[in-house]
Amino acid sequence: MRRAYKYAVLTAMIVSTLALALAVSAGGLGYALPFPAVRNLAYWYLKTTYNPFMPKFTASAPEAVTAIVWDYRGLDTLFETSVFFLAIIASMALMRGIDVRVPKSINLNKYGMSAIVKTVTKITVAVILAASASIALHGQLTPGGGFQGGATAAVAPLVIIVIFSLYFAVGSGVKKKSMLTLRTLGLLGIGVTSFAVVVAGLILGKATYIFQNQPKEAAPVGFPSHILGVPMGGTLLLFNVFEFLAVAAGFTIVFLLLSVPEESVRRVLGGGEEHD
Amino acid sequence: MIDVNTFLFSVLVFSLIMNLGISLYGIFWRPSLVKKIIALTILGDTANVLAIVVGYRAWIAPNRPPIPPVLTTWKPTAADLSRFSSLAVDPLPQALVLTAVVIGLAVTVFLVFLTIQVYRLHGTTDVRKIAKLKG
Amino acid sequence: MISPETLVFGVLAALGLISMVATFMAVMERDLLKAVLFSAVQSTAYAFMFYILMAPDILLVYVPVAVGLYPAVILFLIKKTERFEGGEEG
Repeated sequence: MRRAYKYAVLTAMIVSTLALALAVSAGGLGYALPFPAVRNLAYWYLKTTYNPFMPKFTASAPEAVTAIVWDYRGLDTLFETSVFFLAIIASMALMRGIDVRVPKSINLNKYGMSAIVKTVTKITVAVILAASASIALHGQLTPGGGFQGGATAAVAPLVIIVIFSLYFAVGSGVKKKSMLTLRTLGLLGIGVTSFAVVVAGLILGKATYIFQNQPKEAAPVGFPSHILGVPMGGTLLLFNVFEFLAVAAGFTIVFLLLSVPEESVRRVLGGGEEHD
Repeated sequence: MIDVNTFLFSVLVFSLIMNLGISLYGIFWRPSLVKKIIALTILGDTANVLAIVVGYRAWIAPNRPPIPPVLTTWKPTAADLSRFSSLAVDPLPQALVLTAVVIGLAVTVFLVFLTIQVYRLHGTTDVRKIAKLKG
Repeated sequence: MISPETLVFGVLAALGLISMVATFMAVMERDLLKAVLFSAVQSTAYAFMFYILMAPDILLVYVPVAVGLYPAVILFLIKKTERFEGGEEG
């Protein structure tokens, strides 16, 4: 009886997925092929993202997606960053008390992989860090940005932990506390940048609003949009740099927590539970 | 009978929704916690691809594909701007999918740590065995 | 011969089918290591789809996250827990 019930539910799932797939692809979304015109909201965003004919109404960033993420919809990104921070804090709370103790006299050459792999890794890590910093810095001009650069830069500590060893990483200062400090600095930078124009407006006595980037019609204080003829995006550049720092440090914390060997965990958990 | 482009686009949407169904089966029917996490990441990624597919734009001429929403000149004329807004893909779903990818990553990292803790305390990652334990 | 539009849509349809096959094999496989590798193949197919659908920002996020970080984190998890689904019978 349980068997028949299980197979009935399974068949129902398969049939309903097939029917839904056929319905959506044959025109259930309202069309079978995409439309040749975008929606009104997207048309408005595309028109005003870099428009030198409307200086009081534009976001001054040639890249529409970064402008939407940090300027038009900056509050969404603020809450997304806080969700990510909460996940890292929760993981650290789950793994509290478990710390890596590096023995005093340790021969680091015995740990890790062979010399060929280590040499190649030294070159690759430098390339990874340079490429990710480049991706984060030009986020307001070409596709890129803070989170893209941070996720790419997070591959470097993973590679170091796996190929050299965890003791090497902890021994050269990449500890949980220092990475948490870096992450907090990045988040503080984001907070300060979002309030920077408000403080300037309060000093000058003009009306402003939080997360403001460019001067607007009723709030005429803002960041300069071009520096030496290059569009700098105002707050977008600062947001990208701080987000890059915060994301790379956050992922490093995750990898440091994940690569603790199980023996030191069993010591903390009380000598190992009896598993049956 | 039916247009070739419509048929090929329907094949794409059909395979994406079948991916949704297969990953849902993986979440419900597979007893290992690790397999459930893998299927959950597939589900989230497929939803993101569906959002980007909705934001795509049709070709206005057989050799004018749509362009990404990035303006490539720093001194645009009015003709540049109107050409850009008539050819570029919708940028709003891309911004929302960026947020969704980050949030999915945060949830997955937290689930991985929870699974490690469950294994350390109970010695198994099989949900059938865990359900039989009492507390 | 074939117009560029048909070619692009054909490549998208082929990538969709590849991702469907990879997802099916990832869910049905009992060895979790191979399941993670199939999931990485499916993520690569999705990354190509993002490129052809003109979303370069999402591509730059998706390639390190889904092809690099997800398999790395789940491989750490498999190392610390069991490798085969349903115990070590293989």
